[in-house]
Amino acid sequence: MKEMDNPYAPNMAVIKEIIKETPDTNTYVLCLKEKKFNFRAGQFVMLSLFGVGEAAISICSAPAPSKEFALTFRKVGMVTDAIFNLKEGDKVWVRGPYGNGWPIEKIEGKDLLLVVGGCGCGSFRSLLMHIFMDRERYGNVEILYGTRTPADQIYAYEHEKWRSMPGVRLLRTVEKKDGQKWDEHIGLVTSLFPFIKTKPDDSVVFTCGPEIMMKFVGLELIKKGFSEEQIYLSMERRMRCGIGKCGHCQMGTKYVCKDGPVFCYSEVKKLPDNLISEV
Amino acid sequence: MQFLRKIDTFNKNSRKFITYFSFGNRNHKNIFKPLHISNLLVMDKDNNLMQEKFVIDKEDVNELLRSFMKKYVVFAPVEKKHGVSFQKIDDEKNLCLSYTSTTTPPKKVLYPYKEKLFSFDLSKSEFFESKDNKKTIIFGIHPCDVNAILQLDEFFSNSMEDVYYTARRENLIIFAINCNHAGENCFCSSLGTGPFLEKGYDLLLTDIGEKYLLEVGSDKGKDLIQGNEFREATDDEIEKKREVEEKALREFKKFVDFDSLKNILEEKYTDEIWEEVAEEGTDNSFPCLSCASCSLVCPTCYCYEVFDYIDISLEKGSRFRELDSCQLLEYAEVAGGNFRQGRKERLRHWMMCKFGFAAAGESSKCVGCGRCIEACPAGIDITEVARRLGERNG
Repeated sequence: MKEMDNPYAPNMAVIKEIIKETPDTNTYVLCLKEKKFNFRAGQFVMLSLFGVGEAAISICSAPAPSKEFALTFRKVGMVTDAIFNLKEGDKVWVRGPYGNGWPIEKIEGKDLLLVVGGCGCGSFRSLLMHIFMDRERYGNVEILYGTRTPADQIYAYEHEKWRSMPGVRLLRTVEKKDGQKWDEHIGLVTSLFPFIKTKPDDSVVFTCGPEIMMKFVGLELIKKGFSEEQIYLSMERRMRCGIGKCGHCQMGTKYVCKDGPVFCYSEVKKLPDNLISEV
Repeated sequence: MQFLRKIDTFNKNSRKFITYFSFGNRNHKNIFKPLHISNLLVMDKDNNLMQEKFVIDKEDVNELLRSFMKKYVVFAPVEKKHGVSFQKIDDEKNLCLSYTSTTTPPKKVLYPYKEKLFSFDLSKSEFFESKDNKKTIIFGIHPCDVNAILQLDEFFSNSMEDVYYTARRENLIIFAINCNHAGENCFCSSLGTGPFLEKGYDLLLTDIGEKYLLEVGSDKGKDLIQGNEFREATDDEIEKKREVEEKALREFKKFVDFDSLKNILEEKYTDEIWEEVAEEGTDNSFPCLSCASCSLVCPTCYCYEVFDYIDISLEKGSRFRELDSCQLLEYAEVAGGNFRQGRKERLRHWMMCKFGFAAAGESSKCVGCGRCIEACPAGIDITEVARRLGERNG
């Protein structure tokens, strides 16, 4: 008795490829068995393994309709732990895509400052792929990417390619070298702010990463003359349904799954139960 | 035949319902679909509202119930040692229609505390969905609880339809009874959700003294009583209903005005009352115990947790959902932290939700049944918190 309209019914996907990003983060290229999949950069799926559970994971591949898509995630909970034990050819279950995604229409013809932290968030890569597919529509792209150590930099194998794209600038930083080879900046992602070339007028800021990082990104950028309205954050909450029913991801009057995960800084500041507003 | 939706708004100044008709729902957010027959009223050829009113003897209720039990699963209020609760009833003698409030709300009929979403077979990588579609009657449900169901209807059938809920809902007939008496903790009269019901029923009873007034609210309701020869109500008897309602309205001791809090929503997140109620205790209540009783007994609380269970063969299992509560510590947990670590934040979240200012909006709003006040071991009273928040606004 299978019905297509049940929003809780997942679709089967096969793990086509596993890419080791960092010691605790992998990228999984998944291939859906049945239907094609259409999504926006910044959306997420509910990834599940029967007998273990479900988790919300943002999509990191290019947002083009395809049976194939990719997810990058850290080994951090029950579901991700179990999936790290799987190998290529194994089956997982997905449903989605869910969420609003990055407001790409807001950056048309404008410069984009993209501030990314950590290795748990792959949605910025999906955004970059989107921009690169249609490069002329968007202005300069400046990416600030910070991680704990050099080994934690995800998609490191693509960074040179990004740098070679016209009008793209990538500034990388690590908190500590941890004995590894690193000749770029050292410090928190906000310590790159003195080197920003993006001007507050006619630009938009997208940021994703740990909430505490996004809090200081917002505060520092406002000091530099950016307005609350031009900064967008991708929030993260643990979710059970992804469709605005289970209630877990609520922040006051908003669902992160349905109204987000991308919110304007000014909007998040008015909501309770997050680090940005501190209420 | 034409389907229209009857919409009622409660005017607080005149303490009366204003009724109008519209296609679609209040907010015009959703495309209207004739799914929940209870929300619809049937019009005849000349576009007159076919609202039939009969008068029945009190003993006839038992007879009706007996006939329903032959064809339907019937849930009705049953008196137990520690209070009245909605139970599957198979003997009309157990019916207790004179109750004030049940301990747990009737939402469990539509939305069980725990239910299977589907079962799966790992060896075959297949899964099987489960849904139960038994024709059900909920009998003797009060106006506040019917209004709670109407809110849940909107919530579960909006953009992403919850098929488990809607399948049960389509098979549910609501046979409500108006409240002639307000309980100690009732405050539905302030919220327009009682003590008398204006919408959402298939059949509605009102105790008008010697007899019951029986009103038909939908085709489903009409079909259900077909074959019974009831006497049509006289104007006097209909007038009697109004008198009973006015008398009931005078019995209320608790009042709230949640709407007035809306304008001051943002300031109230930082109000010191949350610290006081949750952590210190007030003159009338102990600190919050985070026991989640309030959300368990709330007829509009819908939050759930999802679990997978696997059986001893390690091959077969099921995915379940179970009622959860924002009052529990684990609820807002995320990888590496918790966004509502303190009881203060959790209590604030729940109360704001009941004031209608959470993500589900009006769909999870309080209907004034008073169960949370009754159930709270610390004696926390939502009407008191609302009143104090309002007063602080000046």
